[in-house]
Amino acid sequence: MNCDEINVWLDTLLEEINEIKVTRKSDRRVRVDVDASSLPALLELLKGKASYVHLSAISCVDWPDDEEFELVYHCWSYEAKSLLSAHTRIPRNSSEEFARYVSVYDIYKPAGFFERDIYEMFGIYFESSPFMEKFILTEWNGPPPMRKDFDAEAYVNETFNWAEYNPDWLQEITEEGGGIAIRPEDVRL
Amino acid sequence: MRPENYQAVRLPSSNEYEIFIGPNHPGIEGNYAFKLRLDGDEVISGKADAGYLHRGFEKLMEGRLWIQNLAIVPRICVPDPVPMEVVYSLSVEAISDIEVPERGQWIRVLQMELSRVASHLFTFGGHAATTGMYTPSYWGVADRDLALDLFEELTGGRVYHIYNIPGGVRRDIPDGFLDRLGHYLDYLESRQNDYDNLLFTNQVFVKRARGIGVINKEQALEWGVTGPNLRACGLPFDVRRDDPYLIYDQLDFDIPLQDAGDALARILVRRDELFQSVRILRQIIKHLPSVKGPVRAPIPNPLAWNVPAGESYSRVESSKGELAYYTVSDGGPKPYRVHVRGPSSMHAVQVLENVAVGARIEDVAQIMFSLDACPPEVDR
Repeated sequence: MNCDEINVWLDTLLEEINEIKVTRKSDRRVRVDVDASSLPALLELLKGKASYVHLSAISCVDWPDDEEFELVYHCWSYEAKSLLSAHTRIPRNSSEEFARYVSVYDIYKPAGFFERDIYEMFGIYFESSPFMEKFILTEWNGPPPMRKDFDAEAYVNETFNWAEYNPDWLQEITEEGGGIAIRPEDVRL
Repeated sequence: MRPENYQAVRLPSSNEYEIFIGPNHPGIEGNYAFKLRLDGDEVISGKADAGYLHRGFEKLMEGRLWIQNLAIVPRICVPDPVPMEVVYSLSVEAISDIEVPERGQWIRVLQMELSRVASHLFTFGGHAATTGMYTPSYWGVADRDLALDLFEELTGGRVYHIYNIPGGVRRDIPDGFLDRLGHYLDYLESRQNDYDNLLFTNQVFVKRARGIGVINKEQALEWGVTGPNLRACGLPFDVRRDDPYLIYDQLDFDIPLQDAGDALARILVRRDELFQSVRILRQIIKHLPSVKGPVRAPIPNPLAWNVPAGESYSRVESSKGELAYYTVSDGGPKPYRVHVRGPSSMHAVQVLENVAVGARIEDVAQIMFSLDACPPEVDR
């Protein structure tokens, strides 16, 4: 089966799923917007019937103004040589500690790593994933740090003190009218 | 994990015990721990423990200008930093519809392949050292250093170059650089026999590496293995060929393959790949002087640059495998989100945990190095 046949097949396949919007961005990039309830079924079809066997990554984007998280599943087909990015949005659930979604670990094994990463960094609990535990941030007890409402700079200012750096040689230069022209706090953007 | 937080596992009376490899261990490029459960000298299970190199790069990038992030991205993978700069630049160019001039593209590919050579030389030495052979590691590091000299001449930096920017590269190559690159390639080719005799066909090494850490084709696809590790399983997939970027579709090169899927196959694929990179660099030396024009497309004032709203998923083939950046812009002066997908996030975690089972304790370091994992790509 050549690439064109797979692409035609993919189009007919995608028509079967409700609430789906397909955008062809270029020859090898397809964007699919899909409802959160249909996404696991879509991935199962993509892997089982359309040769998208490689899950390249799962990316998460926080949209606090919309009260939503966007999850993007990037699937690559070695046969059709095309990358399909499936975008879906889930509610942010700011009242609870975790937002919730379903794991796709049983479809794509690499999902285990990315879901655990998103669990730590964004606080999205993936139900039925075997890896819902701390991995990188084992010493961290604060809020999920990659969320937009976590201000890393404010946290640093509250938690740590800026070191006073004024050695003798710098004092001598300052007395002669030189010294640090631009202080770090003035250049922070 | 800090020692005070470690709780010893209370095992029932059995022969099983637990042992830590890392976070400082010569078997891996960087700080990374691997907890093993053993019965005698056989591994029952392994658990990767990352986070020692976590510096929050993705969060830092959200707080800095598009151009400032170029100083951050190469630090995500120290042995092979050029693909990081290139893929970040590619993603910004894709969002803002900037076309890189042809000469800039050729110079980028030159750096990418030189970086691949340097990274593979480093890996040969490290892999050999895990089997007790130290001479190749001295040779590998010494020959890599000559490539770093070329990088220093080209970019001003030996390890972190910060030479690629969105739109192209910072400046043109210096006079006579291609000649010196040619001499380096001549030197590498003259070393081929020495390396083969010392390492790749040396029975001391071959007997230690054959049959260690075997991954078959089905497992490789299931676990998301990419790059040289995938090609060592007999699957001819390479982002440079399948999803071409820059001018790779104009270059003539082969994709080295091995079938066995073990540690020996992986290092042999890297050996062949190194000489394919030499072949690509020779084509660049021949062709680059005839490509005229600027090396950089004009970009807006980088200190007041609002990249238009949009998203892109850019992929390149680094020396470790598929490297991808998912970049989102909301039209502001800083990235809204950058997600780094390093190849080692698969190789160093799930693949390693699965492959190590059933291995013997003395082979674990070799398995780790043969997968060529780069821990900062996991931690970011």
